[in-house]
Amino acid sequence: MGKDRKGTEGTADARKSEVLQGTLDLMILKTLHALGPLHGFGIARRIEQVSRDVLQLNEGTVYTSLLRLQQQGWIAAEWGTSENNRKAKFYSITKRGQKQLELETENWERISGVIARVLRLEEEK
Amino acid sequence: MNLPRGSSLRSFAAKLRGFLRGHQNNREFEEEIHEHLQLLVERFVARGMSREEAATAARRQFGNTTSLQEDRRELQTLPSIEALWHDLRYALRTLWKSRGFAAVSMATLGLGIGAATAIFSVVENVMLSPFPYKDARHMVFPRIHNTEQSHEGGRQGYTAKEFLEFAEGNHVFDGIVAATNDPVLYKQGEGTEEFDGARVTPGTFEFFGMPALYGRVLQPSDYESGAPPVFVMRHKTWVERFNGDSSILNKTFVLNGIPRTLIGIMPPRFGWYGADVFLPEKPARGAEWGASDAQEYWFVLGRLKPGVSIQQAQADLTVIANRLAKVYPQDYPPHFTVQIRKLGDTVVGRIETTLYTVLAAVGLLLLIACSNVANLMLARATAREKEFALRAVLGAGRARIVRLLTAESLVLAMAGAMLGVLLAWGGLKALVAALPQDTIPSESVIELNAPVLTFTLCVAVLTALIFGLAPALQSFRRDLNDPVHESGKGTSGGFRGRWMRDAVVVMEVALSLVLLIGAGLLMRSFVALREVRLGLRADHVFQTVLLLPEDRYKTARQATGFFRPLFARLKTLPGVVDAAASSALPPSGGAESRVEVAGKTHDEEWQTLFQYVSEGYFRVLRVELKEGRVFTEAEVNDARKLAVVNETFARKYLPNENPIGWRVRLARIETSREPVRDAWFEITGLVADVTNRGLQTPIEPEAWIPYTIAGSEAQVLLVRTSQDPGTMMNAVRKEVWATDAGVPLAYSGTLEDRISEGLYAGPRFGLLLTAIFACIGLVLVTVGVYSVLAYSTARRTHEIGIRMALGAAGDDVLGMVVKTGLRLVAAGMAIGIAVSLALGRLMGTQLVGVRAYDPATLATTTLLLTLTAAVACWIPARRASRVDPMVALRYE
Repeated sequence: MGKDRKGTEGTADARKSEVLQGTLDLMILKTLHALGPLHGFGIARRIEQVSRDVLQLNEGTVYTSLLRLQQQGWIAAEWGTSENNRKAKFYSITKRGQKQLELETENWERISGVIARVLRLEEEK
Repeated sequence: MNLPRGSSLRSFAAKLRGFLRGHQNNREFEEEIHEHLQLLVERFVARGMSREEAATAARRQFGNTTSLQEDRRELQTLPSIEALWHDLRYALRTLWKSRGFAAVSMATLGLGIGAATAIFSVVENVMLSPFPYKDARHMVFPRIHNTEQSHEGGRQGYTAKEFLEFAEGNHVFDGIVAATNDPVLYKQGEGTEEFDGARVTPGTFEFFGMPALYGRVLQPSDYESGAPPVFVMRHKTWVERFNGDSSILNKTFVLNGIPRTLIGIMPPRFGWYGADVFLPEKPARGAEWGASDAQEYWFVLGRLKPGVSIQQAQADLTVIANRLAKVYPQDYPPHFTVQIRKLGDTVVGRIETTLYTVLAAVGLLLLIACSNVANLMLARATAREKEFALRAVLGAGRARIVRLLTAESLVLAMAGAMLGVLLAWGGLKALVAALPQDTIPSESVIELNAPVLTFTLCVAVLTALIFGLAPALQSFRRDLNDPVHESGKGTSGGFRGRWMRDAVVVMEVALSLVLLIGAGLLMRSFVALREVRLGLRADHVFQTVLLLPEDRYKTARQATGFFRPLFARLKTLPGVVDAAASSALPPSGGAESRVEVAGKTHDEEWQTLFQYVSEGYFRVLRVELKEGRVFTEAEVNDARKLAVVNETFARKYLPNENPIGWRVRLARIETSREPVRDAWFEITGLVADVTNRGLQTPIEPEAWIPYTIAGSEAQVLLVRTSQDPGTMMNAVRKEVWATDAGVPLAYSGTLEDRISEGLYAGPRFGLLLTAIFACIGLVLVTVGVYSVLAYSTARRTHEIGIRMALGAAGDDVLGMVVKTGLRLVAAGMAIGIAVSLALGRLMGTQLVGVRAYDPATLATTTLLLTLTAAVACWIPARRASRVDPMVALRYE
């Protein structure tokens, strides 16, 4: 049994990153909503800046998120030129994306509120 | 995590876009990533790292680019052909490794798909597109329906004048043609034969849009007055009457006295109006309704213009019919509507319901086959959980595993479909051979054509989705971490999953038992049917219909002048025992008439069947005489008004009397084509009942009178032979033509064949169909019970191991598993018997000589099903009982 445990560590990681990705989607939407069109690098920087030392982010996963968000039509992409005059793909939030963001923010707040309450309960015991 | 995945349609569209853009997408994505990495490197360099250090750090921070590419591919493109090929090869390999499973699954699917294909083929060829004609779906015919009459139907024959009014006055057809019946006599060798002829209006062949197979079809010039007389022949007639001899093309035949050239032979599926030959005729307004005996009735067929509905056509023709009704009030009921019916409604309507019922049943069988295979796959997936876990651990995405499983399902389904097509091909041959005559339009050919094979392909893909989904979803839903923890803890899947599987088995058993009982009852009924006493001896009788030309055979003297010499000639033939004439072909009892019996008064109307016969009739058919005597030759020659009646007649109308000497009046004869005044007949004889309305309906009263009463009524010749009657055709024809070379013969053959076709073909077809389905049902039940037990025991291996470690013997385990299975079977059988008893009332009308609650049938079929189910239980049970407790426990 112990032997199998070792073998499953990889999946445990995969699970964690999956959790991360869901929230990552939300974070990216929020970032684009707040700052307007950005390229992938810019988004990674912003998230890094906001969540420094809390989240260890594999920046590549940002791109998976971006693809998924694009597929749902929540963000749009356009080729443009970056600050240092290089070709870059800029992402911006769409109308559908803004609606989704509102919905998700509300959801997130409700659920995190619930979780926070539950955790407090545990402590009181 | 909380973000919904959005619509799968949207993501499919994205995938398709990505797939079509292919490499461009890929390159752009790589560029984007490369750019990102570059920026990171620059950032690290700015912080004082060396280029190399910075590159490593950047890669670390960015993560695995390869898996990112894979993510992208999964999100953005469809699996490539190469990957599909890989999956396919893998699927073939794994299936080859578990051949037993693959074989059982394929056989199960093959049966289900085969049955569906066969029945759909009938539906497609008989109902969806029975006609090979151009735009046949829009071909309609009008009929004048009397609104005061409750039942369906109405006049479908129109005068030439009416047809022309319809043709010229309508706004709804872009083509309209008509055909009229015209029996065609032609000289053949030393005698005369008859064609079912049709005279067809100009444009008929253009209307149907079918070119001739050989020669040409009728053209406008053939209709001109003074054009050389020509005709076109149907393929079937050409093959059956002329052995497909192409040298008859462009030969001249004397048809009804006019030499006509055969200019064309139609392709096999051209069967318009069921005619043998087609003659050109321009309908003329000259002939007025009812003006002469030679009144023609034309059957009118039109093709609706595109976009014109049936209702619009009805309205349009009603206007014309209303106008005609004013001119010819005697030909239209006071209140009528014009009904527009589609070509084929008349034939197909009768079997439509049956076919759709059967199709639904076949759909059910197919679903059961699917759930069986799904269970088999689940059982197998359980054993493969570790393989999947390992794959996942090594980095296979879930979608990838689902794809592997789907590939396996597809391979199984396709193999099943191929097997199914083979089965359907064989099954259809048997089905078509057993199909009673005149149940399908003559144009229909039941075959596995392109639409049917497309249907099969769709069904195969659909089944793959249905049965492949359950195991695929299970592998999807299951936490990849878990198999190691959970497997074999005695949980046989979720409660809901198990409940579903059990329900499927119970349903299968119930359905199969209903089918088995049905087949059993039909079989017993069929055996009983064969033993029903017809009241006559049909063996060694040759029968043929003589079409006596009406102009030369009007009086009794003329009729006897033909039959007396013919009987004498026939009796001199070697192998002929006796000969007789009648007006009806056995075993149908002739025409119906109102009947009165002198000295008997009654309120309700009395009816009897009656037919005209020669004195030899009762001898030839060996009808048993009960009382009195049949008429003598002299009495027949004198056209004496005598009658022989059957026992039912005597029992119903002359109860407790000796019927001999009573006088009866057959009212119908006084108003028939050759009216007989004062139709009172004296009963001279009483004979045993002879089947006269088919086997399933009770025998009706019947009377036989001398054929000389009306000159042209007797048209059936019956010859009793001492040798095989099938060989008598040529000899009898020779004698008929030696008597009168102008008399054609039709419907020749042995009486036994005719009775078999008329009386047994329908029940035989029903029996065959039910028996096939019952067999399929039985096989499916076996697989079903087996697969469910195999699955649940596979999941319980651990539990069984514990039981055995705690001292349970192999036999205990065997008993336990068998009991689990038989409990389901018992539940299914209870439902099946209940349903059968409920359905018994419906079946009752179809059964002869056996009751719907026949205990012998119930017992036999139940026993058969129990034995089959027991075998199906025993196999997985034995496997379970051989579980090595050490191995089972170490499973964890």
